[in-house]
Amino acid sequence: MTHMRIKLTIAGIVFIGALAYLGLAGMQQGWTFILTVDTYLSKPEYQTQRIRLGGRVSAEQLDIQKSQLAATFLLLGEKKNVKVIYHGMVPDLFKAGCNVLVEGKGDGAGNFVSDKMMTKCASKYEEAGHYKLTEPSTQAAETPK
Amino acid sequence: MMTMIGTGGLIGALCVAGIVMALGVIHAVLALGAQGTRESGQVSSMLDGIMRLVRFLMGVLAILVSASSWGLLSSLLDNNFALSYVAEHSDRALPLGYKIAAFWAGQQGSLLFWAWVLGIMGMVLAFVLRKRDTAEAAIALAVMAAVTGIFVLLMLSVKSANPFELSPERLIDGRGLNPILQNFAMVLHPPILFIGYAGFTPALGLLIGVLITGRRDADWLADLRPWLVVTWVALTVGIILGAQWAYVELGWGGYWAWDPVENASLLPWLTGTALLHSVAMWRKRGMFKLWTAFLTVGSFLLCIFGTYLTRSGVLQNGSMHTFGESGMGIYFIWFMAGVGLCSLILILSRLGRLRGEHALEALISREGTVLAGNVLLVTMMLATLYGTVRPIFSSAAAMGGEPGAAIEAAKPYYNRLILPMGLLLAAIMATGPVLGYGASAGARVKKLLGIMAIVGLLAAGIMAGLGYSWGFLTHSNPTYAAWTIAVAAVAAAIVTGVLLDFGTSSWQLGRGNLPAGVVRAFLITPRRWGAQVAHIGLGALIVGVAGSSLFNVNQNVVLNKGEAATVGQYTLTYQDIREEKRSNHTAVLAQVSVTDSAGKSYILYPERRFYDKSEQPGQSASEVAIRLGLASDVYLNLAGWEDNGKSAFQVILNPLINWIWIGGILMTLGGLICLLPQRLNREFQDLVEAPAPASTGSPRPEPSQHERR
Repeated sequence: MTHMRIKLTIAGIVFIGALAYLGLAGMQQGWTFILTVDTYLSKPEYQTQRIRLGGRVSAEQLDIQKSQLAATFLLLGEKKNVKVIYHGMVPDLFKAGCNVLVEGKGDGAGNFVSDKMMTKCASKYEEAGHYKLTEPSTQAAETPK
Repeated sequence: MMTMIGTGGLIGALCVAGIVMALGVIHAVLALGAQGTRESGQVSSMLDGIMRLVRFLMGVLAILVSASSWGLLSSLLDNNFALSYVAEHSDRALPLGYKIAAFWAGQQGSLLFWAWVLGIMGMVLAFVLRKRDTAEAAIALAVMAAVTGIFVLLMLSVKSANPFELSPERLIDGRGLNPILQNFAMVLHPPILFIGYAGFTPALGLLIGVLITGRRDADWLADLRPWLVVTWVALTVGIILGAQWAYVELGWGGYWAWDPVENASLLPWLTGTALLHSVAMWRKRGMFKLWTAFLTVGSFLLCIFGTYLTRSGVLQNGSMHTFGESGMGIYFIWFMAGVGLCSLILILSRLGRLRGEHALEALISREGTVLAGNVLLVTMMLATLYGTVRPIFSSAAAMGGEPGAAIEAAKPYYNRLILPMGLLLAAIMATGPVLGYGASAGARVKKLLGIMAIVGLLAAGIMAGLGYSWGFLTHSNPTYAAWTIAVAAVAAAIVTGVLLDFGTSSWQLGRGNLPAGVVRAFLITPRRWGAQVAHIGLGALIVGVAGSSLFNVNQNVVLNKGEAATVGQYTLTYQDIREEKRSNHTAVLAQVSVTDSAGKSYILYPERRFYDKSEQPGQSASEVAIRLGLASDVYLNLAGWEDNGKSAFQVILNPLINWIWIGGILMTLGGLICLLPQRLNREFQDLVEAPAPASTGSPRPEPSQHERR
């Protein structure tokens, strides 16, 4: 093995070692579960950790208080639904019928408390003849650190 | 009429693309078969004729795709709501600029725009290769026509991809353009990004031509390089504009969310950056040939992969950013698989010819830093790719988890993996350009490297001292403090390296007259200094990312009229709120006075817009107010209000964020400078090419047989 090859091998080992360390750190804390409402409600173990919950906003019990930086609403799944208590900037596209991803965790009383919300206009609007939202329809809101 | 022109143009383009492909293959077969045979003279006139025809047809192809594009554009301008696409993406009240932007705002239009860019690039490639009647030119043009043809075929064969689909109902007005797309940056961001995506197609064509013909020399890289630089510049501008749009339009105060579709644009940028450096090494040292081949194919495939992500519907749950399901996904998978497999076979069959002419002699050398940079860039790409695609494969069965559960990479995944590699890359980038080639490269610039290291350490010390004495590091997370100090050191080393390198060279080129030397340096070796300007830009961008990420303040406040709140070193006083009717919307504006710690005051007007074409009454779009500053932006978002005037605001302080945009401008400028022709004449050749004296530490690339063309 030449001198340069030895150097390259050592550099490679150091690099792979550092990468493996970073990768492990990223893998352990850098992933978030995305659950449907039904899965979330059927598995209590998910209700104690911070997750992302996806579903459709119900028109019933919808209370948007933009001036209070808050919203409470029912998030609909296939069979079940959960009450979401959200604190933070209410995204522009948030409304009844909209698909949203809310990030947060259960409060132990059956509610899902969230401080981060992303909205996506439901494809049903296209079917209903409303204008189609195309590229990019991200509306994220984050609360203070 | 315009529908007929549009559809007719596409059908014609498909036919012409097919003919060009066939002629390209015939030309290549004849040319390769006649090599070294007696008939080669007779065949050459036939080959000339075929090439003339191929070049002519590439022009026809561009005209046909342009006609089709004009069909859609004029339909948008004429409010032709008989077309579904026009009805869904425009309306009568839409301002002219946004009517043009509607061309690429939707799925079908953006496909047509991409095909149009490919058609124009094909014509330009045919012109550039006009003096090369070789088999590789024919193959390159055939590949160009094939890729254009595939995009056209998609539009004609997949119903949801056809921009000329007629509307099932007669409409007197359209549904308008999505309000959040009505922004200057969004007018330019998609087309520039598409130019970047399309730009890897000529590169792929040239590579395939070289691989099939088995060409050994490096002359073809002179044809390849400008395409790569233009492509890299377009991707850079596109990504920066997208980030700028997200910052000013989406109302969450950030510019990059590691969304899968954002990542899709970053992936080819990472490999494209590595590719640019590999091509330079092949040209100058005959090295990195295999890297160049794989990176060219990889960059092309990543561009197609990006469009697959946005159009296939695979990220319906994970991304907030996609076009929606279109039925096109499977075609893109086959396309990527076909191109990937054929390219891999070709590369493997030419492995012998892709072997480097020199072995790596030292890690501390230009070649060594390019190798390290390439490894980092590709690793960053793979880590980003993994984070992006894992949600696709994280369905219940694949995860061994529950139905209805998926997993996606969150910010910490990318921050922990990509950011350290980015900082290491910046450190390598600081040293690479000042090093020469070969075994003694490090020794020749020992002094310069030493100065850079000292300045870097000094910057780190000053940052730590200021940070802890002024308190901005005292209260921050220790990891953040470490990041801040490391970024300061690397940024200082980059600037020192470039300034000393440039200053020494300019002084010598100007023979003691520095301004004249600076002009000469840019005129004589624009590529070298263009690259250094781009490197400084990346350094500025890293400083901006670090400042705005580590010291960002994000606070929501609810105020009554006349009430004040303090956020960071700013005092915000909510003064008034009023309503204004404008051309296609009504705006509600809040008037907020902002006073900084020095007592300087100004007024900001964050607003909410209620567009006339909004699908639901009461739905509004935020229009944030931003006070720009090199030290920090004050970002104010009107969240909501009550009848009694009580209003809620989101206040974000983004330190150093404007250095991201400045960095982007410098990177773009550097790329454009790299496109200037080299004017290395005999008078200055010695000065530029001579080995650097150890005393000055000035870097000098060694003469190369591949250097000047």
